[in-house]
Amino acid sequence: MTPRKRYGMSIDIDKCNGCGACMMACAVENNVPPVPEAANDRKGITWIRVYRVDNHRAYPERRTAYVPVLCQQCGHDTPCVHVCPQQAVDVDPETGIVGQMPERCLGCRYCMVACPYHARYFNWWDPAWPAGMEKTLNPNVAPRMRGVVEKCNFCHGRWHAAQQKAAAAGKREIDAADYVPACVEACPTGALRFGDLDDPSTEVAHDAARPESFRLLEKIGTEPKIHYRSQRDWVRDIANAPHPDGKDQHRG
Amino acid sequence: MTTTRRNLLKFVGGGAAGALLTPAPWRLITDSALWSENWPGIPRPAHGGITARFTHCTLCPAGCAVRARCVAGQPVSLTGVKPHAVSHGALCPWGIAGHHLPYHPARVRQGPVKEATAAVAQAIAQRGTGEHVAVLDLRPGRTVSWTHRRAMAAINGGLYLTPRQPGYSIDLAAAKTVISFGAPLFDGWGTPGNVIAARSIFRLIQIEPVETRTAAMADLWLPIQPGSEFMLAAALAGNMTLAEAALITGVGEQALAAVQEAAESGQAVVLAADPASPLMSLNEKYGALGRTVVARSDAPMPEAWKQAAPEMSMAAAPDGAIRVLLIDESLPGGYIPWRRIAPKLAPDAVVVVFTSSNDGYARHAQFVLPAAVYPETAEDIGPAIDTVAAVFRIAAPLIAPVVPAVDPARFVERLAGLPASEPLRERAGAIHKAGRGTLLDYTAAKSTPVKDVTADNFWKTLSQGGCWMDDSAKRTAPENLVFPAAGEPPRDERPLTVVVAEPRRGGLESPLMSKLERESNLRLAANRVALSPDGARASGIENGDRAVLETAFGRLNVVVAIDPSVPAGVVEVAGGPRMADLCGGNGRARVVRA
Amino acid sequence: MDREFIARGLQRSSPGRFLLWILPWAALLAFGLYCAGLCLAKGLNQTNMDNRFAFGLWIFLDLTVIALGAGAFLTGFLLYILKLDELRAVINSAVVIGVVCYSGAVSALMVDVGQPLRSWFTFWYPNVHSMLTEVTFCISCYLTVLLIEYLPIVLRNRKLRDVPSFLVFEHKLHNLVYVLAGVGTFLSFFHQGSLGGLYGVLRGRPFAFREGFAVWPSTFFLFILSAAAVGPSFILLTTKLVETLSRKRLVRPTVYSLLARVSGLLLAVYVLAKAVDTLVWINRTSPGHGFLASQYYSWKPFGTWILFAEIVVFGMLPALVMLTPRLRAHNGWLVGAAAMACGGVALNRFVMTVQTLALPTLSFDSFVSYYPSWQEVGTFLAVVAYGVLLYSFSFRYFNLFPEERELRLEAAVHEEESALAGRY
Repeated sequence: MTPRKRYGMSIDIDKCNGCGACMMACAVENNVPPVPEAANDRKGITWIRVYRVDNHRAYPERRTAYVPVLCQQCGHDTPCVHVCPQQAVDVDPETGIVGQMPERCLGCRYCMVACPYHARYFNWWDPAWPAGMEKTLNPNVAPRMRGVVEKCNFCHGRWHAAQQKAAAAGKREIDAADYVPACVEACPTGALRFGDLDDPSTEVAHDAARPESFRLLEKIGTEPKIHYRSQRDWVRDIANAPHPDGKDQHRG
Repeated sequence: MTTTRRNLLKFVGGGAAGALLTPAPWRLITDSALWSENWPGIPRPAHGGITARFTHCTLCPAGCAVRARCVAGQPVSLTGVKPHAVSHGALCPWGIAGHHLPYHPARVRQGPVKEATAAVAQAIAQRGTGEHVAVLDLRPGRTVSWTHRRAMAAINGGLYLTPRQPGYSIDLAAAKTVISFGAPLFDGWGTPGNVIAARSIFRLIQIEPVETRTAAMADLWLPIQPGSEFMLAAALAGNMTLAEAALITGVGEQALAAVQEAAESGQAVVLAADPASPLMSLNEKYGALGRTVVARSDAPMPEAWKQAAPEMSMAAAPDGAIRVLLIDESLPGGYIPWRRIAPKLAPDAVVVVFTSSNDGYARHAQFVLPAAVYPETAEDIGPAIDTVAAVFRIAAPLIAPVVPAVDPARFVERLAGLPASEPLRERAGAIHKAGRGTLLDYTAAKSTPVKDVTADNFWKTLSQGGCWMDDSAKRTAPENLVFPAAGEPPRDERPLTVVVAEPRRGGLESPLMSKLERESNLRLAANRVALSPDGARASGIENGDRAVLETAFGRLNVVVAIDPSVPAGVVEVAGGPRMADLCGGNGRARVVRA
Repeated sequence: MDREFIARGLQRSSPGRFLLWILPWAALLAFGLYCAGLCLAKGLNQTNMDNRFAFGLWIFLDLTVIALGAGAFLTGFLLYILKLDELRAVINSAVVIGVVCYSGAVSALMVDVGQPLRSWFTFWYPNVHSMLTEVTFCISCYLTVLLIEYLPIVLRNRKLRDVPSFLVFEHKLHNLVYVLAGVGTFLSFFHQGSLGGLYGVLRGRPFAFREGFAVWPSTFFLFILSAAAVGPSFILLTTKLVETLSRKRLVRPTVYSLLARVSGLLLAVYVLAKAVDTLVWINRTSPGHGFLASQYYSWKPFGTWILFAEIVVFGMLPALVMLTPRLRAHNGWLVGAAAMACGGVALNRFVMTVQTLALPTLSFDSFVSYYPSWQEVGTFLAVVAYGVLLYSFSFRYFNLFPEERELRLEAAVHEEESALAGRY
């Protein structure tokens, strides 16, 4: 039995320039198809999505920050897990990762209603790649079918591969360098970090303990495992519930 | 026992009841789910041996080093190469999905090669005196560019045209303060990894009307009235008082003073969105020439290549005199608006474009010939603006061409009657002969001085995606750095100023870019514009409405996004050929509800 | 031929008239089935639902329809368990309405899920912690119960009674009726509750999240109460409607009065509970999660008016009307109050489904809106048309209102009497 981990991520918002490399790497790694022309930002599938957030001021005092939001891997009373009627969502006790089994999913979308982070996405269309592009699919991840929900699973395929590698080498534990999600690997500014939150020697554990670190909607008590941080007060304020005055439309 | 109907029924019934106690029916139920799990039409990813191969990205001049994860030889994902001295393992979103380009549904897949060849030959034969044959090279500085130049030298009246070139390199690591007039430092200006690595060294002051990604990452963002950048520059140059400049630019006097102080405190460099902008001449005042703004150095090349046509800007080409124009758009580069090209053409000119995209000059040319795309073809990449030492890196092909592509260099060579050559190999030979610099071999993860490598190995390593880097030479100020003076923009009564907030190189991009555009609105898609809430209200437009963007040069159907971060009086657009044809950089526009 | 199926002593319209009545509904059903077919064949991209509005028109109306169909279980409970014998006059109609509502809702749900072929997974791999599992089990079991309850009504048909074994079977089923009423009540109690629990457990949606007792959030009990309260109102409304359309008296006025009393009483209790629940939520539950309740009502068009409408206009008001004998006796007030009660429960289900999803949860979210596509509307219209058709056929061929014959005889006698009185 592998020792238990509590995988999590730290995101330095001050370093994110909103380029979107994480979103591309994620879609490439996890065989997320491009959506048809008819789709908009509410029908697409982006396991990690970079939101543009602002300080609610008018131009020219308005300032923007980019916030990557992925499944927050809630560690307590995980909202999506206990609502699923057919156990298509589970928390892996070995890794703490919230997993989604698309082949078990009925497509009732109750989990999407339950998730406050809008980190779950429904396959409104049949998955379709332009002719020939299916050759570029990652063999470690099965494409999903229409009518099921999917979401970030910290690149489960990579975790699996790291496990196999460790097993082949006769090791009980995977090498931390062998398991890095695609978004973290792709981030050109190093804003994303990944690791075991329970291991105090990891960078993420250190980041999570920093005073400027926060988590989104911490007060609802789901113990998310994505730790954001920023030196800017107004950015840290995004952890909280919406302000009644923050009613403008966002492009992100 | 007799077989009666009753007994038979009993037997069947009993059998059915008994079967329920076996695992068979339950297993069957579970297995029947397999059908819905394997919905027909869902592609199966191919399996096979996993290997790593290396190449360089050709999508922009940065030419970042790329490691491709291949399954049975087919690249399935791309990542950066950490040990690469310039790109530091970073890739932009376009680069990450570059391996999708060969399969792009909108790719140019075939073209009238024979007809084009005949038409060009005929036009050359029939051209009158003073009529020219020209190659427009959108990505000058490549080895292929030298083939074009040699061919044009060999043809009587041959011209080699390019977009305006910077003619210098910027050494960001040598700057303490970067004053950027809208240069998209974090969004396509230079090599992403290099800019990010140098970011901790310099203080960034971004001067531009809208808060772009770069402005968001700046230490100080000065929201300036669009079009008043030259006034601010004049104030920095001391040709105008700060108070006057503050009034015109909309930037506070204090902020201006802070910029001036930072600029004069030493080691400042001024960058502009257009590398050939007159704003760059401020660098002389700050003593950045020869320190941060340095002469570009090219990799050594064979002596024979020196017999080449000179680089000429489109503006310098004679009017109405180009009979044959061959446009090498195989790699997207600085798109010159068609209205600048059209007056240069002779009345019965033949225009041929080599491209993979229907978005650029394919809209204007008579003959559109399919070009290979990354990563199908072996070529080198022109110099990046932020690389000081000369480099030579080859984009090693990762897959066989998906469509029968035409090689523009071969086409031009043949036209000029030059013998077919292997220019990349010849150049590698010249570099090896010079004996300077280091060879980076990613496959073996080592770097070796060139003098310790045999010519064959040198070529072999390069053609497998290796990189040659020159020794860091003495920095010199760029010569002949002449910036044209800014012209007065023509009067235009349209209410909105066009600001290109989303740099876009044109050409194909991965279908997965929809994740950043339509599926999340992180980036402004080519057919979208952003308006301020006030501006939209004035035009009676709601978020997501269809509208027409109208400029002096034409109209374009767009979808409007309302964005409070856009200043009033501005329409934010994404770059690209269509927008360049429509606005040509910063123009005036009107948005009308469709 | 048609005549032979209609119960003796009942008067029904001519086959031609009946055909004229059902044709438009059949056309609507055909259109609706086409819409549903589009959603099934092409996928849910035919709807305007999206990742933010993962539930839409269908879930809202399913919840409403199931609440309205609660009359079936409540009437059965009052009649067979609490022995309120007057309700025998409407029990058959209530069962048909129950069948219509539940089967309609289940059919719509089958279109609503992305992979209908996997719906049995819930029975195969049930997650016992999920409210939706509870809903699925209870609704499918209760629908079975309803169908068994519907069977005797069908079998008592004049023509079908001619088959002796049907008659025996019907008699046996009839003996089961008390058990069925009990089981139905139990199942209904749980699924109405768990439909409420569906939202109450959403920790991630502080607008919907409620504290509660044991594993059940307060919405569990509120949904039971509100469904029980409007069930009789809906039976009252439909009966009145059928009386108007068929121009016949079907039940005695005392039945209406009883239904209104039951509805009013339960509604009053519900309004009280809902008010207390709202106060606890505003002052404790929601702020405890970092959400000020005031912000929920700052996004237009969902102002505090919606809360006021739900509790006072569509709750307290109809309850008062139905509990006041003088007002209740007046047909206009009675029907108006019943309609408002039904409207109130629809509003509540709308708020729970639509407002919950429209409100932002993250500070950088925006308030989102949603309009159903014609395919969604069409699919639901199929359910409505199916309901009307099933009810129309049931009304024509089965004896839905046992008092109808007596009332007709009484009226005939009365007419004769007055005629005689006139002669002499």
